[in-house]
Amino acid sequence: MKKLLFFVFSCLYLASQAQMKADDVKTFILKNGMKFLVIEDNSIPNANMYLFYRVGSRNEYQGITGLSHFFEHMMFNGAKKYGPKQFDRTMEFNGGSNNAYTTENVTVYTDWFPASATEVIFDLEADRIATLSIDPKMVESERGVVLSERSTGLENSPWNMLGQAVVAQAFQEHPYHWPVIGYEDDMKNWKQGDLERYFKTYYAPNNCVVVVSGSVKFDEVKALAEKYIEPIPAQPDPPKVHTVEPAQTGERRIVMQKDVATPYLNIVYHTPNSKNEDYYALTLLSDILSSGKSSRLYSALVDKKQLATQVFTDFGQSFDPYLFGFYAIASKGINENDVEKAIYEEIEKIKKEGVGEKELQKVKNQEVIGFYNQVETINGKSNNIGTYEVFFGDYRKMFDAPALYNKVTVEDIKRVANKYFIKSNRTVGVLKSNTEE
Amino acid sequence: MKNLKYIPLLLGLALSVQSIAQDYKLPPYEKFKLKNGLTVYLMEQHEVPMMNVSVILPAGAIYDGEKAGLASLTASGLKYGTKNYPKARLDEELDFIGASVNTSASKESAGLSAKFAVKDKDKVLEIIKELLTEPVFDTVEFAKEKKRVLVGLEQAKESPRSVIGSYFDKFLYGDHVYGNVVQGRVSTVSAITVNDLKKFYKENYVPVGSAIAIVGDFNAKEMKVLATKLFSDWQGKQTGINLASKPLPVPPANRVLLVNKDDAKETTFYIGAPGISRNNPDYVSIEVVNTLFGGRFTSMLNDELRVNTGLTYGASSRFVPLKNGGSFVITTFTATRTTEPAIDKAVEVLNKLHQNGIDETSLASAKNYVKGQFPPRYETSGQLAGLLTQMFWYNFDESFINNFQKNVDGLTVEKAKEIIARYFPKDKLQFVMVGKSAEIKKIAKKYGPVTEVQIKEDVKKAF
Repeated sequence: MKKLLFFVFSCLYLASQAQMKADDVKTFILKNGMKFLVIEDNSIPNANMYLFYRVGSRNEYQGITGLSHFFEHMMFNGAKKYGPKQFDRTMEFNGGSNNAYTTENVTVYTDWFPASATEVIFDLEADRIATLSIDPKMVESERGVVLSERSTGLENSPWNMLGQAVVAQAFQEHPYHWPVIGYEDDMKNWKQGDLERYFKTYYAPNNCVVVVSGSVKFDEVKALAEKYIEPIPAQPDPPKVHTVEPAQTGERRIVMQKDVATPYLNIVYHTPNSKNEDYYALTLLSDILSSGKSSRLYSALVDKKQLATQVFTDFGQSFDPYLFGFYAIASKGINENDVEKAIYEEIEKIKKEGVGEKELQKVKNQEVIGFYNQVETINGKSNNIGTYEVFFGDYRKMFDAPALYNKVTVEDIKRVANKYFIKSNRTVGVLKSNTEE
Repeated sequence: MKNLKYIPLLLGLALSVQSIAQDYKLPPYEKFKLKNGLTVYLMEQHEVPMMNVSVILPAGAIYDGEKAGLASLTASGLKYGTKNYPKARLDEELDFIGASVNTSASKESAGLSAKFAVKDKDKVLEIIKELLTEPVFDTVEFAKEKKRVLVGLEQAKESPRSVIGSYFDKFLYGDHVYGNVVQGRVSTVSAITVNDLKKFYKENYVPVGSAIAIVGDFNAKEMKVLATKLFSDWQGKQTGINLASKPLPVPPANRVLLVNKDDAKETTFYIGAPGISRNNPDYVSIEVVNTLFGGRFTSMLNDELRVNTGLTYGASSRFVPLKNGGSFVITTFTATRTTEPAIDKAVEVLNKLHQNGIDETSLASAKNYVKGQFPPRYETSGQLAGLLTQMFWYNFDESFINNFQKNVDGLTVEKAKEIIARYFPKDKLQFVMVGKSAEIKKIAKKYGPVTEVQIKEDVKKAF
């Protein structure tokens, strides 16, 4: 026991020594409500800018599904100063590159550039936030791009198809019901007016958090933000997502057909959002179940019983209560029911017998190392700090995380397993080639 | 996502450039050879109390012989454990300290990469040594792994993107060992036994011709003593036969390989040709030109196939250099009904590159981009350890990195024109299309004589 405790300390020590402290993040808020988080880091002569807009598919409704993601694409297609194609051309000419992603909850824009190009990046971002122009011609060609994105996702991974269907069953009223990419028919039907309204409602400086990391000076970032972004007016707060998913009262099951070698299985349980106190215990429970080859599910299903070729779990960040997911692919000749049963057996073991102290310590150690790995690069720093600010309400929570993980006890693990992993709270999806049998 | 991550132009290879105003040099490192022939690189990096290890061995799929998949199975077999660390204990101990130790094989080489806290260095380095020098290749573990690999080979066929590269290499390289499919084929993997692994290990996992790079928070003097002590007893010379230096086939004309997938809703395709070897003196210039052609978002290919026409979510091109040659590919995908316009466009853009060359402004942009995107590639100890083993494998030194900016800046419009004429294919194109044959076979015939195979069948030995 002493040895283990010593290990915890050395790990925490490692974490606190290895990366910046909360005080290394400096912040300011512009008059228009846009919040900036800045981390000076001169390890490479580069910098980045991560812009987190609080808009995702949960802000949509039937008929315009997929619009948040489509809007992400349209943000690259021209504004007043930098017209169509000029955003990317200017950025690349200055040595920068970019990407963006949309989830159910947020839309995030990521710029990576030599620090010497910082002012150009501010100019580019300010231009599109202030004066995006939605050219009908660009709308049409970009529609083709996202239709291709949807199709190539489905073409290359059975998980896409199954995962979307399972989530749609688990959420019957809340907008998490539809996929981020949207329904194909909605994608073909977005109108100019939808886009214009979306821009005005959600792309307001007060609906965005910006993180800048790298070889920059706080004062310079602040001056550039005041020059380029502060003049952009704030907007009224976007409407709240008011729909609360009613409690699930019975197991839901779906089956779907695709030509696959062996069946795919996806099981989800409703769990609370990121601000809930159970977040840390659920994250560690996910690690206990599937992180590493010594984890419960890998060891039982893949290694010992050989029922599955792969098994993993996930539990992530969300604004509204979302899901804890189990995923498995059956081994050759194995019925998916046996895989499902084996997963429940492992869950029941934890519910009844709990987990060992050493087992819990193992995943705490992994979280510390994993956390450290994430902030090893300037891009990891920006992404994590922004995520904590947006989902947990305060970037400082990121620095509290090691201690919060450390506080989780074996009793907590048992308690959350019993609380959330119950039959009436789950949705089960199977994808296989023969659905007629 | 706005776009698929652009794969660095030269796959798996480290390119370096300094940021525009600053002088970037590779951090100092030490290189020495043990008496048994193992080359060791040590680089101190004290920013964080972590360590990375990268090992490269001459044990890639080019040594598979008739047993496609053998190199890959042998590499993963190292992790079935050793006498002191049977698999269960190995997994448990590594997981407990949050350490990662991965082994894998690629076309030419096998490798091990590890990352761990510096306080665990004695334990993890000992484990690495045992895995490399005394693996047991447990029969039971192998039987389990083989079953998983066989299902994995079938599953890969569910994703055109996962298999098209293997088809292309077979099609381009033919019987040459560069055509070997790293993951193997169902027929060959089924026949591989644990004794094959042991034999392959014995023949190819040797200190001579291998290198280990250790980067992180340690004292190089002490580490030199430790590494010497750990690895000096490892003995052996390679007896596996390297056939990679045999001449590579030169395609005489356009050809098409059509891989039928009955339930496909899109066509995934490569258009390719022979490329360059890693030691090509024009390596850097080729990267800059390819950046403009298909290596970034505003590239000619992506601009035309995505931005202007909306035919695809992304189009790109890349060179994949190996020791004795390599390949060049244009790659994209499109809905089944737009297969023809997409392929036509891709060929048209290639023709345009030859006809119009590139102008001063684009060239300046590509140079800035390549230089500006460089430093994040060498930000972490893991990236630096990987670079050192690549330097060993492809026999280049830090001048490549330290002179990179100069070499990028030295490219002129005239030189770029020569680069295009010399290295970018104009004709004799090799097309591989994965899609629904019933709807695209007629189109395929337009580009050359068509060989058709079924995705559900095992990959052929050669086409």
